Amino acid sequence: MYPGSNVTAILWWGAYTLIGVWAQRFVPGVDFLAPGIVLSMQEQGGARTVWLAVIWVLLLEGMGNLPFGYGVAWYGLLAVFYIMGRWLFEARSLLFVCLLGIGLGVLHPLLIYFLASLGNLAVPMETSLVEGALQAATFPVIWLAADKLFPKGLRQDAKPL
Amino acid sequence: MRRAGAYVVAAHTARGGRSGVRRPQKIAIAVVAGLFLYLSIYTWNLRTGHLDALSSYTGLDISGFILRPGLWVSDQVVGFWERYIYLVALKQRNDDLHEEADRLRRENMLMSARARSAGRLESLLGFRAPEQWNFSGARVIAQRMGPAGVLATLTVDRGSASGVRPDMPVVMPEGVVGRVLETGATTASVLLLTDANSRIAVIGDENRSPGMLSGQGYGQPLILRFVNLNALIDSGELLLSSGLSGLYPKGLPVARVTKVQRSDISLFLTVEAEPLVDVAGVEEVLLLDRAVGAGPEEGRDAPVDGEAKDRVSGE
Repeated sequence: MYPGSNVTAILWWGAYTLIGVWAQRFVPGVDFLAPGIVLSMQEQGGARTVWLAVIWVLLLEGMGNLPFGYGVAWYGLLAVFYIMGRWLFEARSLLFVCLLGIGLGVLHPLLIYFLASLGNLAVPMETSLVEGALQAATFPVIWLAADKLFPKGLRQDAKPL
Repeated sequence: MRRAGAYVVAAHTARGGRSGVRRPQKIAIAVVAGLFLYLSIYTWNLRTGHLDALSSYTGLDISGFILRPGLWVSDQVVGFWERYIYLVALKQRNDDLHEEADRLRRENMLMSARARSAGRLESLLGFRAPEQWNFSGARVIAQRMGPAGVLATLTVDRGSASGVRPDMPVVMPEGVVGRVLETGATTASVLLLTDANSRIAVIGDENRSPGMLSGQGYGQPLILRFVNLNALIDSGELLLSSGLSGLYPKGLPVARVTKVQRSDISLFLTVEAEPLVDVAGVEEVLLLDRAVGAGPEEGRDAPVDGEAKDRVSGE
């Protein structure tokens, strides 16, 4: 890793977070940061992904209004889907990313139902289903855009083994 | 020799078989342990509210910091446009406002006389003085955000650092908007009265029939619950906060009745209402705070920070 890569990574992921939060302001119910977790696992993995996940969990939980737990389960299960999916698929293939998006799309209403039941909250499930469909549709698009814009200097696959 | 070889193969197969069984067991144990840990942390947080407070004072505030500069730029651009491009409409607008101010002054004169008279009568009859409330403004920086934002909420640009606390009433000049759900240091979220978890104790303006107003989601009518079959309530009647819950001051306009239906199978009337405020278009709100020395009503404790999420439906 060249010396400036940490600064580049902080700047790039900072800009990604900023855009993600603004996007979530305009499209409520859809997580624009989740494709970043997958991209980070594909490119770097390890401590940087964990840091990103911790910051984004706090952001999701802070912006949201369910009792704490959605963000942990959301990103935790996304990581599980990704790790399990790698047994069967090429990690960087678009098909695999589309399947991850569908997985998240199905997971969203289930998690909402589960946590709303635990918290004794009344939540309109129709909205969650629509948001799940939107999440499934937008996930691969955001991942593609982020992957295209990801700095070459930070790419692990571009470096010699 | 062949017999010994067969034993080795059998032992190897047995070991392989056992390890094949162990792997699913390990996965099952990991899943159960993970679920147990998750539910333990979830329950602990529901009881203490520590993680909710942590996420409010980090995530909610960070999102506020991210949104504010963009909103400031947007305001400057829009302000510039309105100041210079629409300058020609200012004269007409000024005349309209003068006319409205005159009308309000006349109304205010009559109301003041009646209010003074009511105050004198209350003191003659020995009524306890009503609570005093202070108003302060806050700017809406976002509606609900993120996948975990499932409740109908607004985010405002003031938090606990400027005295905002959970359960503070949030209003507009037209009527009630909702109440503060949770606070960060510089940002707070407001539960709207249209949310299905919102409950406001109200009373009819004309017929004084009490009920509990709850939301059903944006775009859906509000439902007035627990109105007796023989209670008087008219379509078009204004619903005011009754002050019985201890959260809202008495007499704030909340909604207007749109439909009253008598049910054959229920002990209560089916009453629908519409909010007086279009919550989707709210840009600024007023936060109400009890004046210093004016405590909450007798028999009720003041709200404690961090418990708001537990009490979302518990007014």
